[in-house]
Formats: sequence, structure tokens, C-alpha cells
Amino acid sequence: CATPPRPVEPDVAASTWSGRLSLTVDQEPPQSFFAGFLLKGTPRQGTLDLYSPLGSTIAQVRWSPGEAIAQQGKMAREYPSLDDLIVDLTGANVPVTALFDWLAGRSTSVSGWQPDLSRQPEGRISARRLQPLPTARLQVVLDQNPA
Amino acid sequence: DSLATLDSYIKSTRAGYADFTQVVTNANKPGAGKQSVGTFAFKRPNQFRFDYRKPFQQTIVADGKTLWMYDADLNQVTQRSQAKVLDSTPAALVASATSIESLKQRFTLEAVPVKDRLEWVKATPKDKDGQLQNVMIGFDGKQLRKLEILDSFGQRSVMTFGNFVPTVPAKVSFKFKVPAGADVLKQ
Repeated sequence: CATPPRPVEPDVAASTWSGRLSLTVDQEPPQSFFAGFLLKGTPRQGTLDLYSPLGSTIAQVRWSPGEAIAQQGKMAREYPSLDDLIVDLTGANVPVTALFDWLAGRSTSVSGWQPDLSRQPEGRISARRLQPLPTARLQVVLDQNPA
Repeated sequence: DSLATLDSYIKSTRAGYADFTQVVTNANKPGAGKQSVGTFAFKRPNQFRFDYRKPFQQTIVADGKTLWMYDADLNQVTQRSQAKVLDSTPAALVASATSIESLKQRFTLEAVPVKDRLEWVKATPKDKDGQLQNVMIGFDGKQLRKLEILDSFGQRSVMTFGNFVPTVPAKVSFKFKVPAGADVLKQ
């Protein structure tokens, strides 16, 4: 007999966020990643464009169930998961899927990360990674008048 | 033609200071695009700075050895060696090239017909897997007026310069001073 189809999670409404993000990893010497960004879609399926301070595109990331692709210049690289891709690109496992909730002010818990959404109404969020070491810190400033 | 204009511009303007407005649009993303405003200064052969004022304060300074970037909202400075970054960036075209020959090592240069009443040079990077498709440099007579940067994703950044003076005001320094309390990070 046919097994019931796997229940597909209800597709959360897509959202768009743009601004600047900085990530610092507290190793010796500390490593940092800074970029303008445009985040669109849902945790299941979406795109993340990263820009340099002068406005050119650093990388375009696309993901959907079972697939995550990072395009940099003419090179496209596939990753088994979005998390692997983000670690490779930024140096730390920034929980992009939880970021959608944090940006919307919902403090979804992610193991090892401690979000601070106290300034979210001003378009500012931050999160500290306590585990695994080394510790890391993510800061996001949203554009006031998003593109 | 515009190549001769670019050559005389590089040879005659040793330094410069101008206001700029920048509009960034993307072919595959509708919308008016992001506009920012600030000032641009340079001194050949390898110093320049962009001071963005609106919509947020951000400073980029190339002091000749290190490229500094300060974001005021994050109160954070990132620094990286200038050699690693500079050579194929658009800023290299207008600020640090010492001759058209030195430019030709990194870019293929071609004169392009007049558009918006400006004379243009199109610079296409020779390193193919870079992130730039091409850079268009627009001259109004001898004056540098526009820089159009098209990256390999179709993102177009148009920088328009105004009130250009061929000297750098005393108050504008290419030495980067780390603002109090800002954390400094190597990239």
C-alpha cells in the first residue's frame, strides 16, 4: 500500500530583507566577514545576495530542499546543505534559516547561538555563538528604506 | 578620441576631490535601485577614499598599503592588504593608474561612442573569472564625470562625480584614524 506522502511543511510566507551584516569569529587572529546583503524567500527556499561596500556583488547564494549553490564571479559551487555553504563562505555557521525569524523579531532558538533582538524594532539584531568554539558574533543593520 | 582623453586625464590629474552620487541597480531585480551620496578623493599612485554620507555613513580609505573600511552603524573597521584588492577594482582605474599602459596590463581598453553627451572608455578586465564584467569611464571634455561598473551578476553601479577639483583639500587625509571604541578586524 502506498505510504502517505511526507507531510510538506506549510510554506511560510516569503519575506525580503536588505541591509549590512558583519560576522566576527574570535580566533587568533580574529576573522571577519562584512557585506551588504539582500535576503529573499523562506527558510526552505530562497536567495541571499552579498555585496561589497562599493556596491558590486560578492556572491549569490540560492537554496532549496537538498540543494545549495554559491555563485561567485563565473564560478558556481554546489553544497549538500545551506549550512555547509555558509560556513565555507563566511567562516561560521550563521543559521540563515533562523535569521528569517530573528529579522522578523521572532527569537527562534538555535543550539549554540544566543540572539539579541532587543533593538530589532530599530532594524538592528545581533547574535553570539557560544558553541562550538571559537565564539563568534553576528551583527545585522537593516536598510531603513529597503530596495 | 576618448582613449587620448583617458591618457591625458591619468597623466595630468595627479590628485582630485569630488562629490559623488551612486545608483546601484540590478537587471534581474526590478526597483529604482539604491542611491547613496558622498565624497571621493584620490592621490596617485595608490591612495584614495570614498566617504559615504547617505543613506548611511561608511568610509573606505586606501592609504597606499592597507585598504580600510569603516561602518559607523556597526562601529567596526575591517582592514586588508591593498595589494590583494586594488588592482582590478574600478577605483584603480580612476585613482591609481599611472599611465594608460599600466592600465592595459589589467584591462582591455576601447573607445566607445558618445552617450549622454559624454565620451566613454570601456575597460574590460583581463582576468576572466573576476567579478567585474566591465567598467565604463565617462568624460565631459577633460573632466571625469561618470564611472559605470557592471559586475558579472548584472549589478550596475553608476557613480556620477560633481564639483571636481584637481587638488585634495587639506582636511582630507589618506591616513585612516580608527574611531574611538571601534573594533578593528583583519580580513
